[in-house]
Amino acid sequence: MNDASLPAVRIGAGADRPPEEREIARDHVRLLLSDLLGETHARFDHLAGILRSGDLLVVNESETLPASLPASGEPGEFVVNLSTPYGPNLWVAEPRWDAAHPGPLPVGAGDLVRVGGVRCTIVSEFPGIPRLVFLRSEEDLREVMRSQGQPIRYGYAARAFPLSAYQTAFARVPGSAEMPSAGRPFTGRLLDRLARGGVRVAPVVLHAGVSSLEVGDSGPGSVPVFPEPFEVPAATANTIGDTRASGGRVIAVGTTVVRALESAVDSCGEIREARGFTRLYLNPGRPIRSVDGLLTGFHDARSTHLALLASFFGSERVERAYEVAARTGYLWHEFGDSHLILRGSAGPADERDSPAS
Amino acid sequence: MTADDRAPRPVALITGASRGLGATLARFLAAEGYRLVLNARGPGGLDAVARGLVGPNVIVRTVPGDVRDPSTRDSLSEAVRELGRLDLLVNNASDLGPTPLPPLTECAPDALASVLEVNVLAPLALVQGLLPILKSSRGEVINISSDAAVGGYPGWGAYGSSKAALDLISLTLAHELADAGVSVVSVDPGDMRTAMHQAAYPGEDISDRPLPEATLPFWAWLLNQDSARASGHRFRAQAERWEVPAQ
Repeated sequence: MNDASLPAVRIGAGADRPPEEREIARDHVRLLLSDLLGETHARFDHLAGILRSGDLLVVNESETLPASLPASGEPGEFVVNLSTPYGPNLWVAEPRWDAAHPGPLPVGAGDLVRVGGVRCTIVSEFPGIPRLVFLRSEEDLREVMRSQGQPIRYGYAARAFPLSAYQTAFARVPGSAEMPSAGRPFTGRLLDRLARGGVRVAPVVLHAGVSSLEVGDSGPGSVPVFPEPFEVPAATANTIGDTRASGGRVIAVGTTVVRALESAVDSCGEIREARGFTRLYLNPGRPIRSVDGLLTGFHDARSTHLALLASFFGSERVERAYEVAARTGYLWHEFGDSHLILRGSAGPADERDSPAS
Repeated sequence: MTADDRAPRPVALITGASRGLGATLARFLAAEGYRLVLNARGPGGLDAVARGLVGPNVIVRTVPGDVRDPSTRDSLSEAVRELGRLDLLVNNASDLGPTPLPPLTECAPDALASVLEVNVLAPLALVQGLLPILKSSRGEVINISSDAAVGGYPGWGAYGSSKAALDLISLTLAHELADAGVSVVSVDPGDMRTAMHQAAYPGEDISDRPLPEATLPFWAWLLNQDSARASGHRFRAQAERWEVPAQ
């Protein structure tokens, strides 16, 4: 895959703890609005004024698992971060020394390890991403998570935070290794205001696997396809169709939602009910058609994230927005600030709303 | 203490297991805990694959021989019966036909017959011979297909038509065996960097094609689907989406 056209973005400061621990309400994080006219600064709960009656927010209902488990084996004591369930006893997983030290660990196919005390076999390396492995367990590791699991965290986190810090208001279906963080700033009061303003909400599910930011092995030219389980319900597909028919905008809350929706586009370009694993890699060579806007966070130069952003609104606009965000102190990572990208312009003067003459 | 003390470990039979996709699948399934019966024409490569398997208490039987030969198929059945069950039959051994790939108008009938023997008749004969144990194990048959089965690519007529026939055999068997609890699927693994693919493109650089290992996530996914619901479907291992359609 050729990533030559990916944006080269400036990286800002990272949030090392949730906003609540910085005396900031979840829905009071900063919101950078990028539209055709440029960048505008706002606060997250101003969304209620930015979105219009008839707009649709599509959210990810995946719930974050306490997917980091203590492990032991030939290399000694380490942790195993469970990424993606393929079956009750088969996971894609990342063995690491600890939150701050990724390894690689000296383990390979056929090795026996204990994860939360349960006997597991390393089945094989994950193709193209050797730090990930297929792990076969003799017991259901979801049970082990209940007693021993911790949310996955990386070196930039100030300390361990409770699992509740890693759940969004939409969490309903357990399965993500890492929080679908774009939905994190939503609160009940904001959702009430949006509903009163005529903004609708429809769910999809996409279970996000590990991202392991600091490893940086998904560099230019070597983006591995990482399959993730997803579901787009029939009701959501219908609501999206209704929204488009009535001139409303479809706003994806998170890149996970974009991946799910684009994976559910049929050969006629319509979104339909779908359920399975997606290998879709969204990049500038594979434009996004399913949404009019994307609400997301600021993330390090993970090429899959940037490739998707560039696919949505072009490398130049991504670079410009990230430059503004870094210069004006927006915070990066899952506890950081938010970014609303609209394909058109935010205001009511959007040409999409002009009556056809 | 070990998996052996619990339910009997599953058994998989893979043809064409000395290299390429067959060898990759054998390595994955061994580490997954499957007991294996492996077949390929020559004993050398097959033994090397068997010796290289790692996993919890590897159990593997090798049966060298041509799948066209009834005595090879009998030996495979015998090896399976000794292990007591058959959860997975992977009909992977395939013949590309003459290379460089001739246009169909110049393909000798004998060459086409040979391709059909390996790619169509032998897989069906294996299913027929192993049917009792497939039924008692509620096993799954995986027939390895190809995009050539639907593409109509010039030069790929012999191979493609054999895989098209195998696809229809898969679908028909799926219907015929549904009540017996045996499921049958067809899988197009996509282009891969294998000896067979190289033979189809003699002298060309095929290093841009992924190694067979690239399909492992697909196999991990497929083998964890409800096989009764998957039965009768044709899957593409390198598709953008893996989905068992709603019934």
